[in-house]
Amino acid sequence: MITLQDFMLVSAALFCIGLFIIVAKRNAIQILIGIELMLNAAILNLVAFGRYDRINNGGQMFALFAIVLAAATTAVALAIILNVYRRYKTIDADKINQLKD
Amino acid sequence: MNPTPFHTDAQTVTLAIIAAVLPFAAFALNFLVFTKSKAAGWVSTTAILGSTILAATVFARVWNNHTIHMQTVWFTIGETKVQVGVLLNNLSVLLLGLVSAVALPVHVYGTAYMKDDENFSTYFRYLSFFCFSMLALVIVDSLITFYAFWELVGFSSYLLIGFWYHRDKAVAANKKAFIMNRIGDAGLLTAIIILFTQFGTFDIDALFGAGGLVAKSALANGLWSAGSGSIPAVWHYVAFGGIFLAVAAKSAQFPLHTWLPDAMEGPTSVSALIHAATMVASGVFLLGRVYPLFIGEELTILAVIGCFTAFMAATIALTQNDLKRILAYSTVSQLGYMVMAMGVGAYSSSLFHLATHAFFKCLLFLVAGIVIHEVKHIKDENNLDIDPQDIRLMGGLRKKLPVTFAVAVVGSLALIGLPLTSGYLSKDGILIQAFDWSEAQPGILKLIPAFALFTSWLTAFYVTRLVVKVFFGEFRLLHANPGIHVHASDGGFAYKIPLMVLALCCLFPLFSVNPLSYETSWLYEGLVAKHSEGGGSIYHLLIPALVNIISIVVMYAAYIIYVKRDTVPFPQTGLFYRISYHEWYIDRFYNRVIVKYTVAFSNLLFWVDRNVIDGFVHLLERIGRCIAKAAAWCDKYIVDGALWLIAKLVQEVGGFVRRFQGGKIQYYLYSMLLAVIAVFIFKLIWA
Repeated sequence: MITLQDFMLVSAALFCIGLFIIVAKRNAIQILIGIELMLNAAILNLVAFGRYDRINNGGQMFALFAIVLAAATTAVALAIILNVYRRYKTIDADKINQLKD
Repeated sequence: MNPTPFHTDAQTVTLAIIAAVLPFAAFALNFLVFTKSKAAGWVSTTAILGSTILAATVFARVWNNHTIHMQTVWFTIGETKVQVGVLLNNLSVLLLGLVSAVALPVHVYGTAYMKDDENFSTYFRYLSFFCFSMLALVIVDSLITFYAFWELVGFSSYLLIGFWYHRDKAVAANKKAFIMNRIGDAGLLTAIIILFTQFGTFDIDALFGAGGLVAKSALANGLWSAGSGSIPAVWHYVAFGGIFLAVAAKSAQFPLHTWLPDAMEGPTSVSALIHAATMVASGVFLLGRVYPLFIGEELTILAVIGCFTAFMAATIALTQNDLKRILAYSTVSQLGYMVMAMGVGAYSSSLFHLATHAFFKCLLFLVAGIVIHEVKHIKDENNLDIDPQDIRLMGGLRKKLPVTFAVAVVGSLALIGLPLTSGYLSKDGILIQAFDWSEAQPGILKLIPAFALFTSWLTAFYVTRLVVKVFFGEFRLLHANPGIHVHASDGGFAYKIPLMVLALCCLFPLFSVNPLSYETSWLYEGLVAKHSEGGGSIYHLLIPALVNIISIVVMYAAYIIYVKRDTVPFPQTGLFYRISYHEWYIDRFYNRVIVKYTVAFSNLLFWVDRNVIDGFVHLLERIGRCIAKAAAWCDKYIVDGALWLIAKLVQEVGGFVRRFQGGKIQYYLYSMLLAVIAVFIFKLIWA
């Protein structure tokens, strides 16, 4: 029997891995992957907690929304990365420091 | 009241005012236009000529006629109206005429006498200013304006004594004259204040006129009561003392006489006008104006002081060697006569003597001016190192200066008081009335006329000595320095005419038809009306005979003694000689007793000022500076420090925060992460 705790652990692990990827990797694509991982950790949580709402299946529904939104944001993020590449000829996050000021 | 039409009175007053203001116009013109020009002399002379003519007109209209008194409100304080105006009676028109008549020849003389002086214009400026002050002084009707012009004549006298301001002696002399006159001014002011307190008016006519307030007031039971109220009688004596001081200072009476001989440092023509004829007479004029104020004892004091001054000055004049100094002491002596005459009740004789003395003393000073001028000329021409005023060096000048000699003899005879001169009339009048007065006096006061008589013989002696030493014998300077060039002459008409005019005024016809009786003089009769004076006593025959016979003997003796030259006729070591030669040691006494301690006291005050008052001020300043320093420190370190601290804090926080805004996307993520973790940690701790 897979308990809620197991889902939580997997989800937390996924979140932490995603977080680590975000802060540690330099490539913008990898950071995007990290973000996806963290998003999936959250979706996993939604699905796991969805067992307590079997009538409306709120968790499942919300997870579906989140997946769709994640796909959309990924598309937008990729478009941003493309534009960044066009402008700076790199996608190394360390070299893009124009956010200040 | 005389039924003269009113407009004539107004006209007369206008003429009198114009007479007084004309010299002021000359002063202003010389001050503004002719500052360097020789025309200044003629401007002033023309002005005084106009004044003389106007004064003569006024004199003719007012003399022995009714008193003219016109006034207008000057200012009002509360209930008190202060009036200013003109009071013309016999006394004031006499002085008005006298001053302008004496000033005119002196002006003419001055145009010649001062012509080589670099400050020619300044001289006439001052002289006109003096004439204005003096003429105004005699016609004003209020004690306040009287006091103002009294000060102004003193001030112009000060200016003219120090005319040759580059000489130290002249500067010292004018300072001395000024300070001594200040003492008198303080006295006069005191008297004016007391009179105002008692009577509530400054109007001379209302106070001292016939039936005026002073005449109605009375001294009884230690109270001085006027119509409205009474004050302690001592104030009457204080007022008298103040007036006495004023008279003593202006008219050079003992104990304030010492400035007058020193005042001879001024130009000789100034000495003639101011310090012999007019200004010094203003003290006697003041006595004449306020005469009804005095009571018995006060008059006796005047008589004693006047007699003492006359005697003392005559004894000093016996041994002086400076030509002008002898004449100065002679002036002091004659002024003493006038004050004494006031004291013995010979009011009109006193003023009569004032008038005659003005002419002959002015004449003698102008003569002295010519003599000094000529001797100085000889001195400059031959480069001699001598004092041109020393009579021991002169002699025999009658041949060089015949006109000067002739008028000098006339003036001297008038001063001695021999018959046919004006001096005889006035001086014998004083002596006779002094003897009449002494009849009723107790004990020692009987000596006063005797001293006055003796003084007149002393006068005969020193005047003869002066004339003989200057004009007779041989020229001693030539004797001592054979081979010097001697060019001397009477000078031009600007010298001769004033001398001759004044000499004519020294003879009897101007004053009296009868050359032997002062009582027939128009001047005496004009003034005597108010005060009945006794007559017909034995003295009227005795005194003139006694005076003149002994005077002639004394003159002859002096002539015999002094016409021989190069000998010293009297031992110069005796006590009397030293007292006389050192001027009774009065100056030395003043220097030792008053001047020294006054200077020491002033030095003490200076020290106190320097160390105590300045020290206190410095202390305040230092305290202020300390407080300011503390405030500056507070400002810098506390107020500014607080602001600086806030700024620094903001800066530091900003610097710290901006480190998070590195522009790198991952740093934002770090900070976000850290913030989230921090929130969690805080929640764990406080939850």
